[in-house]
Amino acid sequence: MTSFRDVELLSAYLDGQLSPSDSIRLESRLSSDPSLRAIMDDLRESRGLLRQLPQRRAPRNFTLTPKMAGIKPPEPRAYPAFRFATVLATLLFVATFAINSLAPAATPALSSAAQPAFGMGGGGAPETAPQEAPATQAPAPFAATLSTPTPEVITSLAPIPTQPADLVAPTESPYAKSAAPETNSGGPAQVPNEAPIPFVWQIGLAIVAVSSGASAWLIRRASERKFRKKWK
Amino acid sequence: MDEPALITSAQHGDLDAFNSLVIAYQDMLFNTALRIMGDNELAADATQDAFLSAFRSINSFRGGSFKAWLMRTVTNACYDELRRQKRRPTAPLERDTSNGDEMDSPHWLADKSMSPEQKVEAGELEHAIQHCLDALPNDFRTVVILADIQGFDYSEVAASTGVPLGTIKSRLARARLRLRECLQGFWELLPASYRLDKEQS
Repeated sequence: MTSFRDVELLSAYLDGQLSPSDSIRLESRLSSDPSLRAIMDDLRESRGLLRQLPQRRAPRNFTLTPKMAGIKPPEPRAYPAFRFATVLATLLFVATFAINSLAPAATPALSSAAQPAFGMGGGGAPETAPQEAPATQAPAPFAATLSTPTPEVITSLAPIPTQPADLVAPTESPYAKSAAPETNSGGPAQVPNEAPIPFVWQIGLAIVAVSSGASAWLIRRASERKFRKKWK
Repeated sequence: MDEPALITSAQHGDLDAFNSLVIAYQDMLFNTALRIMGDNELAADATQDAFLSAFRSINSFRGGSFKAWLMRTVTNACYDELRRQKRRPTAPLERDTSNGDEMDSPHWLADKSMSPEQKVEAGELEHAIQHCLDALPNDFRTVVILADIQGFDYSEVAASTGVPLGTIKSRLARARLRLRECLQGFWELLPASYRLDKEQS
């Protein structure tokens, strides 16, 4: 009676996978057991048939294309430098426009802020402040007698809100009058109406941005063409 | 072919090096897929999928038998395809004659050096063997294809299938036993020497 264990041994024996001792034992059984020998012959024949099966040639090449493998064309060495130059030049170019457009708007603000400081610091503010200090503590009835100040005085004294105008007027008006012509004659902030970044610089940056961008595009395109030609 | 160098280059993303390996192994992988799938077109698809998968995961190859590693990718690709087929069964892709009739012994399976009669016989025998292979469970079929058709030794079969050596021995014995029983049904197609043995016994 042949068991599956015997078939397993016969199969391994056919492939030379049995240990020497197991092989000797099986060979002695094979010489005395015709049914075991018949099974082994069948297994050998089956194996022989499978081994005789013709090997087919592949119907086509299975080589991979870069597209199949998800490989992109290599980046040219100079490409990152050109790309960086393009981005930087473009950003600077935009920044120059922003600076130049903001500059004129900032100029009046600067000059109006400078006026009181100029009027106070340049003339009587330090001198008049001690004299006027007691006046600020004047009793309420005196305050009621205050006369309307002139527009010039208001302009020059606007930053000092606690000072009564008529008390200041006699001492302050000369300074205000003398300061007014100076500020109106053209302070340093109002005179220059030209852009902080010269136009030539903007042109230069634009040229750099365009030329480096074009160079980056060209070398990238050349690299892609070369890559495609190789894998065609 | 310096296989280790090609593998190393392929692991660094060199597609040319990998394609050299593809050319070296494509026939073997296609034949294995053909015997597992039993269909030319499906086998070609599985082979292509296997090579693509092998390229994507080549960095997971840590030495040993590259042939066995590749064989594992193709058997996995075949199993995936078979599972897909099971979910969405389709009509078998048989080659037709110009009249639209299915051929019993397709010419594309025969050797050009044979006479017409031999071609018919060989084609029919091959068809019979393929029929018996198809009747085997997937695991048994793969083992018998690798061991008996591709001539792998047991350790290579174990590496290709990821199954222990003892299981390989057992599966191979069972597969051969089933094949033997199946082939008895096609005895008139078997070679003369085989028939003679049967008649004598």
